Amino acid sequence: MFPPIEQTESSNHLALQMRGISKSFGPTLVLKKVSFDLRAGEIHALMGENGAGKTTLMKIAAGLIDDFEGEIYVEGKQHRMASPRDAASAGIAMIQQELSLVPELAVDENIFLGQEKIRSLFLVDRDQQVRAAREVLSPLDFHGRIDLPVAKLRVGEQQLVEVAKALVSKARILIMDEPTSALSINETERLFQVIRKLAKEGVAIVYISHRMEEVIAVADTVTVLRDGQHIGTMSAKAASRREIIRMMVGRELQEIIASGKSETATRKPVLEARDLWLENPLPTSARPMLVQNVSFTVAAGEILGLAGLLGAGRTETLEVLFGLHSGTSGGEVRIEGKEIHLLNPVAAKAAGIAFVTEDRKRDGLVLGAGIDRNAELAVLRTIAAFGIVSADGELELAERTIRDLGIQASGPRQLAGTLSGGNQQKLVIGKWLLTRPRVLLLDEPTRGIDVGAKVEIYRFIGTLAEQGLAIVLVSSELPELTLLSDRILVLREGRPTALLNRAQFSPETILEYASPGGSVQPAFAGMEFAQ
Amino acid sequence: MKGIASTVGKFILQTKLFWGLAALYLVGIFSSPVNRKGLNIFLEPGNQSDVLRQVSNNGIIAVGMTLVILTGGIDLSVGSMMALGSVVCAMLLTEQGWTNASLLAIPILAFVCVFLCAYLVPLIAINLHRGSAKAVEKASSRVRWFSILLGVILASLAVWWTVSQLKTKFGIVGVLIAVPAVGLVFGAVNGLIITKGKMQPFIVTLAMMVAILGIARLLGGSNMAVHPVYTGTNATEDFDILRALLFQVIPVPGIFFLIAVLVFGFVLKVSTFGRYIYAIGGNEQAARLAGIRVDQLKIAVFAISGMLACTAGVLYTAQYRQGKPDAGAGAELDAIAAVVIGGTNLMGGRGSMTGTLVGVLIFGFLGNILQLRNIDSNTQLVLKGVIILVAVLLQEGQLGVLWKQIRAYLKVKEHRREIVAQSRQIEEVR
Repeated sequence: MFPPIEQTESSNHLALQMRGISKSFGPTLVLKKVSFDLRAGEIHALMGENGAGKTTLMKIAAGLIDDFEGEIYVEGKQHRMASPRDAASAGIAMIQQELSLVPELAVDENIFLGQEKIRSLFLVDRDQQVRAAREVLSPLDFHGRIDLPVAKLRVGEQQLVEVAKALVSKARILIMDEPTSALSINETERLFQVIRKLAKEGVAIVYISHRMEEVIAVADTVTVLRDGQHIGTMSAKAASRREIIRMMVGRELQEIIASGKSETATRKPVLEARDLWLENPLPTSARPMLVQNVSFTVAAGEILGLAGLLGAGRTETLEVLFGLHSGTSGGEVRIEGKEIHLLNPVAAKAAGIAFVTEDRKRDGLVLGAGIDRNAELAVLRTIAAFGIVSADGELELAERTIRDLGIQASGPRQLAGTLSGGNQQKLVIGKWLLTRPRVLLLDEPTRGIDVGAKVEIYRFIGTLAEQGLAIVLVSSELPELTLLSDRILVLREGRPTALLNRAQFSPETILEYASPGGSVQPAFAGMEFAQ
Repeated sequence: MKGIASTVGKFILQTKLFWGLAALYLVGIFSSPVNRKGLNIFLEPGNQSDVLRQVSNNGIIAVGMTLVILTGGIDLSVGSMMALGSVVCAMLLTEQGWTNASLLAIPILAFVCVFLCAYLVPLIAINLHRGSAKAVEKASSRVRWFSILLGVILASLAVWWTVSQLKTKFGIVGVLIAVPAVGLVFGAVNGLIITKGKMQPFIVTLAMMVAILGIARLLGGSNMAVHPVYTGTNATEDFDILRALLFQVIPVPGIFFLIAVLVFGFVLKVSTFGRYIYAIGGNEQAARLAGIRVDQLKIAVFAISGMLACTAGVLYTAQYRQGKPDAGAGAELDAIAAVVIGGTNLMGGRGSMTGTLVGVLIFGFLGNILQLRNIDSNTQLVLKGVIILVAVLLQEGQLGVLWKQIRAYLKVKEHRREIVAQSRQIEEVR
């Protein structure tokens, strides 16, 4: 259908061509006939909102997804990428968003996993591996020990190891998916130097990132995806920040941000948390505590944002509040003045806490069950008598959830797994609202859903706050956090570094407090970082 | 027309299991030998009731196994549990006074009485008080004491009655109460270790399978391989009811099986317990986060599985007139096979009791057909294995995926060949 393009003799020949790539997860089409060209020696930024399909497209190129439509040509030759092994033999390596290191293996063992340096017969030559690993890591500003398990490194250092792992594979095409999400500003700068050097040597690089500044600083070319479609490709020098945002969002950002927050500081606190802590389950880790000294209060109708880089302990803080780490965590938690024990989710639910988890598919929904079965799950007892569930009650709950949240579904029995991401997220929130909570914990409430549903969920969160819920919001998207929050607590490596009010909100300030080595507000300076 | 065709197609696809059973039944009719009177042996009421009798033990175990598998677990200890049930049952029936069996069964029965009362009565009370959480909270401590008291009274009654039975021997009522209680407790131990020790059900129940088999052998003394039960001579006559035919056709074990299917099918369909079972199997983490007491429910499910397995042990004793520590060898695998043929997903969360009923019947009729054709028992094993594989392949719909992958692979091969052909043509032109 798409003929292979003749390979030209110029140095900037096409290293990778993807033609008419379509992919659907169940009924949701996440990629619609996307084509993508990558030239040797270029740094090509792939941009788009969460759920635009960037990662999916690149996972296909890296052989991590084998069930798709379309064709892939590497150096002009068609390849069928059925496994990461196929991709590796075609010279493609990918640094994935989720860290894929083996925590108990040493840095060098991780870097050379699957391509160990062999001394004789079957013996691994650790000395040579350590030397080679240091060679790759030193330009990346890595100062950790190479013969220690990676679990002992901080998340940012682990991310560098991940980068090194891809570098030693001598790939001609290198895909980096959010490689800087846990890196400090210095580390990011060093990484860019390495990337530029690689590009000069003719390696083609795909760079996926949310951070506009990074992209404009490092990329030669920018491709924008939106809702699984290719929106445009342009030179990074020609593109303006504003234009890229417009292409990503589909309309001007100002339209979405409809502000008007009311003052809530005078209201009575609903949730008071003091000195939350959580032990690290990995005994070998560099950080014995994943969460430490975290204290905050949230008033009725207030939204408190938790900001931080990957691994800062935001999700863990919510999990501690919900009683998911009983035994290894602690702290004093009061709801409306009454102390509660962080025992288990049953107790948390009874105390009026609701938790909308980050990964709705893994933690939030029973995908193989209908909307009705999911909606009722947390409140099933209330519609049952003597253990027999009332069919009317079930239907009523499901229909109320569908109506109140505006879920688009064919009926109350539609399987949760066949809903779109946005509707799934609404269902999770609806399920929890049925429990009539006092405190709502939201972890990445709009991850991977399209813009329209996002705006609806923003409005809904606003309405819930107006109704007097105390809300704690975790989000990696700074615009989302600054739009919705009344105050933002910034975490760094499990400890609070700043509490910002609306006047102080800016991406720069938040990143400064969130980055390793950045500043700490005087109020939090007492709890120093013992490394 | 096309719409109708597709709805019919969908209907057939959804009910393919029943069509499978129907097809097997037809095969049975046509392949069956004919007796001297010219009647089809397969269709004879005697043969049909025989099939029901033969499947009922496996069926009862499969009912419990369905619950366990729906939560995403597995219970390998049911075979040994059935053997334990049969040994305890036989000993209670044939031996007077305090024996190992009664020393095990009577305290367990007392414990089960207290525990079930203490647990179930408050549940009922809460349901009576629906709507006012405050009132429930206030009443709850009083209700708890009351229910424990009630449990103790019930337990003392049970102990008094069973001990009075010891002077003679246990009758049918005695064993039908005491033996399932033993299974309930051993099953609950399975569940406790799995949930509190955070261990894999496979490993825990594998270990229990070995251990319980040992217990079953130890109970009867090491030199007693078989405990014969002769009703009328060494045991009471009423135990014979369990091997009787109702209205001359319906075997009593079959009735036990059908009741188990009905009760637990109903529980799965409409009760909160059933909903929670599906939720745990579908996504355990989501269920836990929704504030469901996942551990408690899992323990209950394993307890039920143990209880049903021991009940099957009682029926085994009645059917074969003996209690035998080797009674349940391989029973766990037969039960798992029946559940899986019935379309229940081994990962949990998907399946039904009707499926298990059909799975059990398919297994039973298949054995019957092969027996009627006088097929060598080893060949039967091979055929059964093949049937399990085919049934599951059809159920899971993996055939389609496999076919898709093969097609995609062939397409690329073909494309490459075309390119090679094209480039050759170009060279030839040059």
